[in-house]
Amino acid sequence: MSADLHYPFPPADAYRLNRCLYAIKSDPEFCARFLADERAACAEMSLSDREADAVARFDRDVLVGLGGHPYLVFMADLRLRMAREPGALEYF
Amino acid sequence: MLIGAFACAHTPQLLIRPPTEDRDLVLRVHAAFARVKARLCALRPDAIAIIAGDHIEAFFLDAVPALAVYVGAEASGTFGPYRYRLPIHESLARGILEQGIERGFDLLYTQGARLDYAFYVPLHFTMPDPAVPIVPLHVNVYLPPQPTPRRCYEWGAALGEILRGRPERIALMASGGMSHFPGTDRYASPEVEHDRRLLERLQAGHGREMASLTGEELDKTGNVELRTWITLLGAVGDVSADVYCYEPSWHHDNAVVEWRP
Repeated sequence: MSADLHYPFPPADAYRLNRCLYAIKSDPEFCARFLADERAACAEMSLSDREADAVARFDRDVLVGLGGHPYLVFMADLRLRMAREPGALEYF
Repeated sequence: MLIGAFACAHTPQLLIRPPTEDRDLVLRVHAAFARVKARLCALRPDAIAIIAGDHIEAFFLDAVPALAVYVGAEASGTFGPYRYRLPIHESLARGILEQGIERGFDLLYTQGARLDYAFYVPLHFTMPDPAVPIVPLHVNVYLPPQPTPRRCYEWGAALGEILRGRPERIALMASGGMSHFPGTDRYASPEVEHDRRLLERLQAGHGREMASLTGEELDKTGNVELRTWITLLGAVGDVSADVYCYEPSWHHDNAVVEWRP
């Protein structure tokens, strides 16, 4: 497999970043803590300052550049938007 | 016995529609799902075996199975306000697991992993009433190295033999695809023409060709999730596909397809 895949192998040094994105996506209690206090939630996940800055700004390119899995970045972002703007959505 | 086979995409915008999603398109896909539901009601399955790719929900980086079978009493998952608890057909699930292992497929099994939306978005719209027990079958699509398309097809072929040898009436469903690139700079440009040609090949009954695709080709065309369809194709063989709908949105190619194996 070449290195320029859309979904590359997640680098081991991004494990904590990916775990944080996974928790935003899949752990509603963590997601609520993140919405209440982003910095404290990032500290809970032992993120570096650089990673915490990227998560706070939620810049896709920076997060992926740091080794964040693109799908986790995508769905964590969607979950945060769902939580922040629930009225904009139509539920079937 | 294998009594029916279906494949579809499962974009969450079909369940929870943001303002950026074309409402008429969403409703047309729902109409295609309603046709699947009517077919399932007519087929009267004892179980629905559903092949889907986990979106890093059940299986995070702590343990990444290539292929897995849910063999608990039930499977549950949560998406926004939706709470799903779906009964599993336990004896069929165990049969698939045990016979799969016997046939040389080193399957992971779980009795407690949560269920990803790839499984329940299609079932939300297609599950007969009263509900039919399911067997969730996971294929790793998002965490490289994924199983090769060839391996998926071979597993599907073995799965098809297993299902045909069972006493239950079993419908098989694949949930995944088509072209989309979530979280990448290609998000707004799915490979619409590629998928159109692919569906034409399936309509012509050339499903076996999908086994010759490479993992790189699937990634390049936004089709990592097509591994779920390829697994199903291994089970149904070169049967002509009936395409209920093909509805490319600005970010995701939706399709709903049936095969009569």
